[in-house]
Amino acid sequence: MNQSLIIGQFVPGESLIHRIDPRLKLVIIFIYVLVIFSAETLLSYGILFAIAISTAVLSRVPATFIIKGLKPVWFIIALTFLLHILLTREGEPLITVWGFSLYDQALLQGLNISARLLLLILMTTLLTLTTTPISITDAVEALLKPLKYVRFPVHELALMMSISLRFIPTIMQETDKIAKAQSSRGLDFTTGPIKDRLKAIIPLLIPLFVGAFKRAEDLALAMEARGYQGGEGRTKYRALTFQPLDLIVALVFVVVMTLFFVTRT
Amino acid sequence: MHKRTLMIVEIAVFATLAFLLDTIPGLQFTIWPQGGSVSFAMIPIFIIAFRWGMKAGIISGLLFGFMNMLFGGYIVDWFQAFLDYILAFAVLGLAGIFSAPLWDAVRKANREKIISYVIAGVFLGTALRFASHFTGGIIFFGYLAPEGQSVWMYSLIYNSTYLVPGFILSAVILIIILITRPKLLFKEI
Repeated sequence: MNQSLIIGQFVPGESLIHRIDPRLKLVIIFIYVLVIFSAETLLSYGILFAIAISTAVLSRVPATFIIKGLKPVWFIIALTFLLHILLTREGEPLITVWGFSLYDQALLQGLNISARLLLLILMTTLLTLTTTPISITDAVEALLKPLKYVRFPVHELALMMSISLRFIPTIMQETDKIAKAQSSRGLDFTTGPIKDRLKAIIPLLIPLFVGAFKRAEDLALAMEARGYQGGEGRTKYRALTFQPLDLIVALVFVVVMTLFFVTRT
Repeated sequence: MHKRTLMIVEIAVFATLAFLLDTIPGLQFTIWPQGGSVSFAMIPIFIIAFRWGMKAGIISGLLFGFMNMLFGGYIVDWFQAFLDYILAFAVLGLAGIFSAPLWDAVRKANREKIISYVIAGVFLGTALRFASHFTGGIIFFGYLAPEGQSVWMYSLIYNSTYLVPGFILSAVILIIILITRPKLLFKEI
């Protein structure tokens, strides 16, 4: 169960991309993802791909990791492309095989959507490969700070995000343990008709819920024992600082984005 | 222990549980490769909504959607991402409207009331989630509709295939637990 799912795929390193302030990385990714959907010309796609590829190279993350990270989505990208080609009926037919026509607009739209998906996933994968989940939540908290003034619980939300992410492997292990324990008692939830499998999952759910409540209670107790009392006046163990390097990265990004907007349409 | 600390931690832990129930192969049944699977994932969100109320439920749903998006979301547009991953999961928490009367019913062990409030809450949450996916489907995935089928019919069928079983599973399991072992989920805080 554990091997088939890779989550939290951070690859430790000291590369340029690893060292960029997570707040800046998040802002860059946000803008990047935002503009992906406005790219229309070949040149603008070229710029977006150039950004993604140079980020990948600069991150010094082995290519195999990046490809592995993209593995689950190849299928979706290919499927999207195929569906677009087969189902869109706009523009001029290019070729006709067995009564099926390939339209130029269909090809264009298919390529458009697939390229956007690929870029989107490539960039976000690079973010999670080079940034720890904790840094990401720290950055989110820092970036959302202004919302505090409208009484939005920024600190609590960031805390919940980091607890959630931190507990993914833990709860996954627990699920695995319970699944094995119940299998050893003769439960079978991996074969057979769906109805039987769904029924078999119930004896797995109940201990999971009980375990989750217990875990939450223990954690809350441990937090309070260490003096946790809400967000006010809490200091950080890892304080984020904006370095000269970040300024350079930000400037380069602004220049590239200007280029992008010039070539966008 | 402060109630608030416990609430914060429970919201987070149950959101993770929801995400894993939706992700671990073997525990969920993928129906559509583009997203949409029959699973028990909504149950933890409903538990938080019923136990702590609407606000907590909404936040738990938000976290669940956020993780879904972060680890393999299917995004073609900003507004679609908002509809399919933010709004769709956040509205599950609205089941928490029935939190207070459900607590009351559980304390009094009133079987009929427990059943009706759970069904009402789960239905409200799932229906609103459906509305969100349905709208997104019409706006962004209409081109996938087979020839001769209207766009809204396609979205209706697509989203019902996993949400109707999801609704039934969630309601049945929550009712069974709350009638046989209410202390499991509704331990006094």
